[in-house]
Amino acid sequence: MTALAFGIALLSQLFLICGQLLLKRAMHFTPIRIRTLVGGIALLSVWFFLWLGLLADWDLSRLFPFEGLNPVLVVFGAWLFLKERVPLLGWIGIGLISLGVGLVTAS
Amino acid sequence: MVGKAGGRTALVRWFFNPYVQLAFDAILVTTAELMLKLGATASTPLTASISWLGVSALASKWTWIGIVAYLVSLACWLYVLRHIPVSIAFGLISVAQVLVPLGAWLFLGESISPRRWIGIASVLCGTVLIARTIVRRGDQ
Repeated sequence: MTALAFGIALLSQLFLICGQLLLKRAMHFTPIRIRTLVGGIALLSVWFFLWLGLLADWDLSRLFPFEGLNPVLVVFGAWLFLKERVPLLGWIGIGLISLGVGLVTAS
Repeated sequence: MVGKAGGRTALVRWFFNPYVQLAFDAILVTTAELMLKLGATASTPLTASISWLGVSALASKWTWIGIVAYLVSLACWLYVLRHIPVSIAFGLISVAQVLVPLGAWLFLGESISPRRWIGIASVLCGTVLIARTIVRRGDQ
């Protein structure tokens, strides 16, 4: 994996996580916050095309660390920025899911 | 015995349960990912320099089916996010990642490596733990 591909993979996951947090933020309110929603969808669109490009050039089994880290990073972001309460059991659960996604993607 | 109208109301209520929508979403995302992988590998890059953008994959019909599945899944996902914390929803939607190899094993007769079985088991254990936190929260 080249340094460029590594950088793009890292960047795309950042877009995915920020996009998801913006979506949740937008849907939290009544009425829905349209500008936040559009911002979230825009970030997810950028992630979508970057990820599509990576999939064309690399096998998914090479991209497993990025795929695997997603769940734990999204939960961390939700805890940090959206102040969602995550019990210990939730942290262990999300850790197992991240590990599992990494293992499934890697093999 | 519930009347016809009562049955329909129960079905509608079931359909709009955020956790049922989350299950639909997992199936849609799985479908979308399979289609996108098909589309991405079916196409050849226009030029090497812009291949990282993934634009050339748009030439494949599989990519477009994948995009439509993704758009419907986005609508489901927004509905889910309105009702469930993202820290719970994102963990549960990750089950989609193990649906792909499980589906290929069940329906296409593909084999699953021991490492992959461990991964699938790990994801399912994690999902059960998160489901237990939902019960404790007193959510439905």
